[in-house]
Amino acid sequence: MDWKDLETSAVRCSRCGACQQVCPVYKELGTEAAVALGKIGLIRAATQGWIQDPAALSEMMSLCLACKACAANCPSGVQGDQLVLAARQRLVEEHGLPLLKRLILRFFLKHKAIFETGLRLGSVGQRVLFRRTPKGNLPRLPMGLDSKRLVPALAPRPLRSRYPVVVEAPDARGTVALFTGCMVNHVYPEIGEAAIAVLHQQGITVVLPPEQHCCGLAAHASGDQATALELGRATLACFEKCQVDAVLTLCGSCGNTLKHELGDWFSADTAMAPKAVVLAEQVQDFAQYLVAIGLRGPLSPLVGRVTYHESCHLTRGQGVKAQPRELIRAIPGLAFQEMSAPGQCCGSAGSFSLAHYDLTQKISARKTEDIRATGADTVVTGCPSCLMQLRDGLNQGGSETRVLHLAQLLASVLPRPQAQP
Amino acid sequence: MHSDTRQALINIVGQGHLVDSHEDRLCYAYDASPIPMQPGHVPSLVVFPGCTEEVARIVRLANEVGFALCPRGAGSNVSGGSIPDRDAVVLVLTRMNRILAIDRANMIAEVEPGVITEQFQKEVERLGLFYPPDPSSKAFSTLGGNVAECAGGPRGAKYGVTRDYVLGLEVVMPTGEIIQTGARTMKSVAGLDLTRLMVGSEGTLGIVTRIILRLLALPPAKKTLMAIFPDLNSASETVAQVFMAGMVPATLELLDKTFIRAIEAYRQIGLPTDAEAILLIEVDGEPEALDRQAQRIAEICMNQGATRTQVAKDAAEAEELWIARRSAFASVSRIKPTIIGEDATVPRDKIPQAVREIQAIAARHQLTIAVLGHAGDGNLHPTILADERDPDEMRRVDLAVDELFRSMLALGGTLTGEHGIGRMKSPYLHLETGNAALAVMRTIKRALDPRNVLNPAIGLGG
Repeated sequence: MDWKDLETSAVRCSRCGACQQVCPVYKELGTEAAVALGKIGLIRAATQGWIQDPAALSEMMSLCLACKACAANCPSGVQGDQLVLAARQRLVEEHGLPLLKRLILRFFLKHKAIFETGLRLGSVGQRVLFRRTPKGNLPRLPMGLDSKRLVPALAPRPLRSRYPVVVEAPDARGTVALFTGCMVNHVYPEIGEAAIAVLHQQGITVVLPPEQHCCGLAAHASGDQATALELGRATLACFEKCQVDAVLTLCGSCGNTLKHELGDWFSADTAMAPKAVVLAEQVQDFAQYLVAIGLRGPLSPLVGRVTYHESCHLTRGQGVKAQPRELIRAIPGLAFQEMSAPGQCCGSAGSFSLAHYDLTQKISARKTEDIRATGADTVVTGCPSCLMQLRDGLNQGGSETRVLHLAQLLASVLPRPQAQP
Repeated sequence: MHSDTRQALINIVGQGHLVDSHEDRLCYAYDASPIPMQPGHVPSLVVFPGCTEEVARIVRLANEVGFALCPRGAGSNVSGGSIPDRDAVVLVLTRMNRILAIDRANMIAEVEPGVITEQFQKEVERLGLFYPPDPSSKAFSTLGGNVAECAGGPRGAKYGVTRDYVLGLEVVMPTGEIIQTGARTMKSVAGLDLTRLMVGSEGTLGIVTRIILRLLALPPAKKTLMAIFPDLNSASETVAQVFMAGMVPATLELLDKTFIRAIEAYRQIGLPTDAEAILLIEVDGEPEALDRQAQRIAEICMNQGATRTQVAKDAAEAEELWIARRSAFASVSRIKPTIIGEDATVPRDKIPQAVREIQAIAARHQLTIAVLGHAGDGNLHPTILADERDPDEMRRVDLAVDELFRSMLALGGTLTGEHGIGRMKSPYLHLETGNAALAVMRTIKRALDPRNVLNPAIGLGG
């Protein structure tokens, strides 16, 4: 592919400046190259051959959270985030991936067996690359991760190894497949346990297809489309075989990838495109599904004040905004308080937070302040990646506010399920 | 740029407050005007000064060394006035973004130039005060940019434009002196009116570093009304009729079918996509008087041939209509990518004739020219929809623009109501001012900026 292919979308940017108003990176850096209109300008410059330093261009394209705020606010309908991701792809095609990303994406992530064995070794593997500190793990080597970035410990046993492939609910009123995603399977299995407990209690049989792997967004967002496509194919092949009412996701980004991205990635692939369409129709976010089937109470009361953080890919990517709030508000006794900007990105953006930690911290500090102003003791979100970032930000800000995935909040107010892992 | 000059600039603003790489600088080679990015417009450095003194030192350095300076706010200029020439230094004022004071007793405010217009409006409105100028870019434009361009907006019909609210300025002159103009009082006739000279001077006569703004009391209530017309002509005829009946709406906007459909495609707010034109009208004031005013205007519209009028049921519905209106220009870029939004302004009673001439010009050059306007003050925005990648179409655009300017001037109008001359209209300026007045302007420029360092390619003909 060529830069010229991006021109048709890029030329529609009228450079009006509306993206400046909402871009979290522009808010911190204040330079034109930080915001969509500048990045689109650079894409057009690349089309004309006016770029002198591809490394500088790569760095600028890396400064995007892909939070979709610009796209949602663009009067001309330009998908700024998609253009940036496409540009990253061109840059990787032309100049390759940095060594660490190549190692992670092409060797580690792409090969499910190596990936899972590696992560299953858990603490051992992590000790090689990270040193433990009282606060968490810090990278040992300058390997493309910011040296101040705390990385949560890997779970000693991944989520899927804790359950049979089918977690049968008695007198089931529905059957779903659960796409666990890397973060829930390997870092926060407790989120998956909570979700399975809630679904089980609600009379929903949960299938955990063992062939599932990474959704591929991490590779796509790094411009490594070859790896992304391979992972996408594996996902489509895995869920094609499932006879279920819906495929549920617990992560805004995984969900958006399955629902929207795969269709784009395979749009020209006549064999895979129809499969992507079928999967997209099946995929639902956890909250969306529970609201659709009707959550059965009673819910036990909780005391406290809760606010809700919108994952970019859940709210703008998938349009799931109302359902999580509806479920939170259904819990008796809880006070719900909106932030002033619940849809503002937390700054995590997957590996963005690993590579640009200082910038992430600034973006995160705004979110932390917004949370603090609500007086909430609990922040609920629908994405494990946001959860990691929010915890880090609140911790750095000295706040005691806890962060829960919606599944964890619901599990705490529903009767204890019979099926424990 | 010589490395000593570069180092001197770094010493002034600090290492963290400039962008230097070629790729970073490319992003300052354009603004929101249709002038495409080109290598000849890539500046040599972009600096972000943090205070008036830094601005003054940069300007003095420019005079000593001899380089051009291009002041910039959000870069949302639509006439090319923020575009530098190669080797110029772009001076971005967004770091100077403090609201220094909002004085309720005297109903004035003092701000730095980098404050975002809408954020300022929200702040004063929380105190029951009102800053009316509302350019469509207000959510991201800066007040400094608004002053430099004398920005207007839909509310101009009743409330005027930026110049009507600027009481005084702090300006770094083109030779580096820092001056104060105007006063903190409603009345002041001390000396020549340098404030008015600076407002709308497009960064050619000085760099505004502090602004004293006059505020009004926030009208307690407003009402938005939409009138739907079966043809563009009867909608245009209605505009003057409303004012002749003694009604002064805060806003009176005319939108033709191309805009109606593009906006509806963008926001789905229920605009009548089968209408040929709509008038979007806002009245404000005491709540008791509003219903009667809206009623009277609705009657006038119906008498002029409107098929239907409808009042926004609440503030949220009204705001939705105005957000949609503000996104009009960008919305039509869904039809064609290159939007040439002109802003020729004619006396209010000439609007019907102006609209007919615009349609004739479009037909003559086989172009789509959509019509929208702050019709209440005669400020039309004939908007040419084109594709910059089509050279033949762009050639016809040039011809159409030329005819458009000449015909609007013949109607007693002006080349630009609120966008500024910038780069785009500079070659046409003499058509409106005449050679003698243009010579006066150039004399002023030379007197104040003998080394021609501030925005040398902008605004003064050529």
